[in-house]
Amino acid sequence: MDFLNPVINGFAVVLEPMNLLYCLIGVVIGMLIGVLPGLGPAATIAILLPLTYNVEPVTAIIMLAGIFYGAQYGGTITSVLLRLPGEASSVVTVFDGYQMAKQGRAGTALGLASIGSFIGGTASIIGLTFLAPIVASFALDFGPAEYTALALLGILLVATISSGSKTKALIAAALGLLLATVGRDIFTGENRFTFGSLELADGIDFVPIAMGIFGLGEIMYNLEERHRAAKAPSAVANVWPSRGDLKQASGAIGRGSVLGFFLGILPGGGATIASMASYAMEKKRAKQPERFGKGAPEGVAGPETANNAAATSSFIPLLTLGIPANATMALMFGALLIQGVTPGPQLVEQDPGLFWGVVNSMYIGNILLLIMSLPLVGIFVKILRVRAAILAPITALITLLGAYTINNSMFDVTLVVVFGIVGYLMKKFGFEPGPLVLAFVLGSLLESSLRRALLVFGGDPLGFFGRPISATLLIVFVLVAALPGIRSALAKRKATVPARTAATEIKEKV
Amino acid sequence: MMHFPTRRAVLGAASAITLLAMTACGNVSGGSSDSSKYPNGPVNLTVGQAPGGSTDLIARAISEGAAKTLGAPMPVVNKPGANGALASKEVAGKPADGQNLLLINASLITITPLAVTQDEAVNIDDYDVISGLSQDDYVLVASEKSGFKSIKDVTSAGRNVTYGTTGVGTGSQLAQTVLFKQANVKGTDVPFDSGKPALTAVLGNQVELATIQLGEAMPQIQAGKVAPLLVFSEERNSFLPDTPTAKESGYDVPVAQYRAIAAPKGTPQEVKDKLLSAIQDTLKSDAYKEFNKKNMLTPKEISGEEVVTQWKDYAAKYKALVEKYDISLAGNK
Repeated sequence: MDFLNPVINGFAVVLEPMNLLYCLIGVVIGMLIGVLPGLGPAATIAILLPLTYNVEPVTAIIMLAGIFYGAQYGGTITSVLLRLPGEASSVVTVFDGYQMAKQGRAGTALGLASIGSFIGGTASIIGLTFLAPIVASFALDFGPAEYTALALLGILLVATISSGSKTKALIAAALGLLLATVGRDIFTGENRFTFGSLELADGIDFVPIAMGIFGLGEIMYNLEERHRAAKAPSAVANVWPSRGDLKQASGAIGRGSVLGFFLGILPGGGATIASMASYAMEKKRAKQPERFGKGAPEGVAGPETANNAAATSSFIPLLTLGIPANATMALMFGALLIQGVTPGPQLVEQDPGLFWGVVNSMYIGNILLLIMSLPLVGIFVKILRVRAAILAPITALITLLGAYTINNSMFDVTLVVVFGIVGYLMKKFGFEPGPLVLAFVLGSLLESSLRRALLVFGGDPLGFFGRPISATLLIVFVLVAALPGIRSALAKRKATVPARTAATEIKEKV
Repeated sequence: MMHFPTRRAVLGAASAITLLAMTACGNVSGGSSDSSKYPNGPVNLTVGQAPGGSTDLIARAISEGAAKTLGAPMPVVNKPGANGALASKEVAGKPADGQNLLLINASLITITPLAVTQDEAVNIDDYDVISGLSQDDYVLVASEKSGFKSIKDVTSAGRNVTYGTTGVGTGSQLAQTVLFKQANVKGTDVPFDSGKPALTAVLGNQVELATIQLGEAMPQIQAGKVAPLLVFSEERNSFLPDTPTAKESGYDVPVAQYRAIAAPKGTPQEVKDKLLSAIQDTLKSDAYKEFNKKNMLTPKEISGEEVVTQWKDYAAKYKALVEKYDISLAGNK
């Protein structure tokens, strides 16, 4: 029972009144911003980072995590009722969810989504509970060589898996790597790109970049969009789905849990991709795929389960390896660093209270969400009517104030404004900000680990293949890098013959 | 947990307001620069390191005690950047009225200038040092797999030895590079970002040796996971009495981290006296003594003048050592 002891102690941490309170605050804020289109969990966490500064690390992360998975719940509500996805991860829920609402089954859709989210989230927490100690048992085997390989793989996956244009993702990632080189070279003390400024001597801090690109950039971008006035939502009645609905959706919930769990762990994966993949899978598996888009319960249950499972499982690489899997996790990484906690393989052993406290808080958070999400629908719809002209300046002010308080530095505020403009322009020209931020985080890890590893190996690059973990990771890296090339070569060979049939198939899909 | 104003903060704010009101009345007869009215509002104690580190913890322990005697709140302001140079330069530029203090690390004066350009270096003459505080010792530890149990094992190994440091321009780097030169052992210097990752690398057998601060190393030393080979202080450390000093082992490389409280140059004597007595009250308190013990800090509560002479002596000594052995702290340029 030695293994379970810290897990149980983790519950004691969660049940401290202050932690419970912050968990509640987190999930409510999360649901709220999930409802608001535009402002996502990454932006909110970026803006609220400085507020967590004076709170205990566990409490802070419990709240921030609550925001993250709470947002997945909130996004569903507006998708179903108003055909207005609050979150990117709830976009696919619109297809069938809104149709169900039109048929007077809004309650069923929301009920299914809530139950699915709860099951998906819980399944992922259980997975996290058992997987984390296994990874942590390798903790001390993770040296510079392993981190080099891991960071390389992470950057590659981020750039290749992310939604949207791959070229643009690679450009953004390259910019992130470049930004990571600013500051004093930790091996030679040489100043790089500091332009004689002492403020830049330690490099650019992660937090102003995140607050600028995700926070201020998003706020500015949202101002451009004229908000559609929220229509009166469909009436919600009969939230508990019928036995038939449940039976129809149970397969989708099961598959969504597993799919979401694995896509969440993958660097570059996360809730959005998980929800889309689940929708595609359900449609492919269905006996009557034509029901999809016309109010199929599986089309709501699958993606909603998957996005919550992924949101939870994306904590695994962060908490066990110190590698953020997506932009929101990069922010959690920043939040932990502010608190003086370095996430990594040692975390489970060195700070079990924090680790298990955060993990177990997700059970409580998911239960809170399940209880609260439906009664609060009416309030959320009212909030949707607050004009962006009022909301935006307030959030911008909070962001800038917060940026100052972290290091008591006006320079940081300037950085936030500069990166806010960068973030705005990136959004405007269709660049995902995620790869930039992730490459920035992984860039300094990659550089310092690579140079450290080469020092230890006496300059021999073959040393990377002499260690089992780094060798395996590098082989995976090569495979992932080569895969698209191989696939397109195969496709070309095949394409010469059945080109015509393929063309018609695509037409049908559109 | 400090998210709601604690009672202390409220009391502090209240007393600040009363003090402000009092000084406002006093201004009728005196002047705003009247140092007998010191402190005139909160006294900021700036720290050039992030919250949570040992420098920050020391600042917080001092401010807690000194605020009581001074009768004014003493908020700790963290302004990390460039090893503390950023905060130091900022405080040096503040008015010399005792309202802005600095908790300064000796390495910034004695070692960092060896690794950075002239205009980045901080000069101790820009400050009036109020009081020395404590000494934080560096210990050389060896990994399990290296098999090193004493410094003799290292010197007689007859091969290249990898050692982790806590970064470029730190005492950890200086101490080890000089030691290796004096012992005539070939070594590879592997810089880490701070003490924790360097210790982890020793635990995981990624490097064979590392020099880190005692407070950080102690739990692993006690657990038997790393072997302490020597301490770099001039005398044995009371928390690690069985570990020899570098000096005893025949190496002339006395390195430790010292900390002191300083004010901008030209602070009036009256103000300095008040500050000194407030700090001394704190140093005498049981709570502060307990704090030192818990963090394995050796008290070094010497006068400001002594701090300046000692630090300047160390700076000169390190400069001579580095030149003698032709060491570049800026590494493999």
